[in-house]
Amino acid sequence: MQSLDTLAHTNPWRRRHPAEKAVLAFGLLGCAVALPPWPGALLVGAVALAALLGPVGLVPAALWRAMRAPLVFVAVGSLPLLVAVGGDPLVRFAPEGLGPAAGLAGRAVAALLCLILFAVTTPLSDTLPRLERVGVPPAVVEVAALVYRLLFLLLATASTVREAQARRLGFRTWATTYRCVAAQAGAIFVGAFDRARRLEQGLALRGYTGSLRVQVPSRPVSPAFLACSVGLVGAVVGCATVLG
Amino acid sequence: MHIAEGYLPPLHAAAWTVVAAPFVVHGARAVVRQVRADPDSKLLLGAAGAFSFVLSALKIPSVTGSSSHPTGVGLGAILFRPPVMALLGTIVLTFQALLLAHGGITTLGANAFSMAVVGPWTAYGVFVLVRALGGGLSVGVFLAAALANLATYSTTSVQLALAYPDAASGVLGAIVKFGSIFAITQIPLAVSEGLLTVLVVRLLRQVSLPELTRLGVFRRPAVSVKEA
Repeated sequence: MQSLDTLAHTNPWRRRHPAEKAVLAFGLLGCAVALPPWPGALLVGAVALAALLGPVGLVPAALWRAMRAPLVFVAVGSLPLLVAVGGDPLVRFAPEGLGPAAGLAGRAVAALLCLILFAVTTPLSDTLPRLERVGVPPAVVEVAALVYRLLFLLLATASTVREAQARRLGFRTWATTYRCVAAQAGAIFVGAFDRARRLEQGLALRGYTGSLRVQVPSRPVSPAFLACSVGLVGAVVGCATVLG
Repeated sequence: MHIAEGYLPPLHAAAWTVVAAPFVVHGARAVVRQVRADPDSKLLLGAAGAFSFVLSALKIPSVTGSSSHPTGVGLGAILFRPPVMALLGTIVLTFQALLLAHGGITTLGANAFSMAVVGPWTAYGVFVLVRALGGGLSVGVFLAAALANLATYSTTSVQLALAYPDAASGVLGAIVKFGSIFAITQIPLAVSEGLLTVLVVRLLRQVSLPELTRLGVFRRPAVSVKEA
């Protein structure tokens, strides 16, 4: 998880306004989902992949790490389309499902690439403070921002606890493994509320009034980038319509 | 297991977003009211959300020989209540999509409905029912966590079956197909999560009773501290 967040903070598009990247990534995502898989998914996938490996500068190994787990779901979720239930025999291979399964897998992979395009270029710390401008209640935005800030600390705590347990041979049997994982959860719970209490005390000493607003760096929206993004999405739709 | 980005057809993705929205909005209103009444609770809610996220990242052993992750919805619902979990769960799912590429933005509504609505309400309902019937804390926690896990994945199976019905037997056949595939891992995992949640709650009672009391876990008569 930290690698995706790290990439988002270090990639060449880091200083761009989140809206620019949202128009490109979610515009392509809309195409991936709404256009027919052939040729829509292929075009969207190719454009997103070219953007990721080109201007964004993502190395293939990092992309593969990000895609591994979701691809397992795509593979497992596509399998049932190759099986028919009912009739004689009750369960049989359905060759007519090959096309839909391939289309589904293609669409999901293309959409996943679009999601990763946004995720590796836009840190959540840039997106969250701007959500208020699109109508999300400030209290909800602030809770989400706190979750974001605390979760890295808690993940580090969990990792440290796990390492210490492993060094004490805590995972040698099922019983000890369950006890260790429960202790990890307990340590995280205690750590989370300890952090919250310390934040509460620290903020109270600084005259906390109930608002956790932070300064958001001003980043002008680039009309050229926006125009290119809209043009690219339009071109994908046009090509898919002509080829389809 | 989250429904991956782009897996659902657009109409289904939109429909599940509409179905989940009232629960999430209700949760958001509850949180806004709570924060307005007690600004400090914002920090507690942030801690609760981060805890839910990290809980779902813990590795638990599975009887299939591999390891997997708990959903955390059972424990979350017992600790923080279903309306709050609807919002926190949706925030966590959004973070999982953008930080881990697990789940997605177009499938957020469907995932939120199964993991942030159905799972927590099942857990909470089972927990309160078991306690009201005189069941022990451990029994209530185990059943709440295990059944919440199963309810979450059953809902996911139904969502997938509605999107991709079987050519011969329709939606029912598709439910059997998707359910059978997920059952191989999910039934053992539900038992694992139930056992783990019992251990966690027992541990928290020993080391974090003030926090649990502040959260109201042991306050109401239906869920009193009395261990059977």
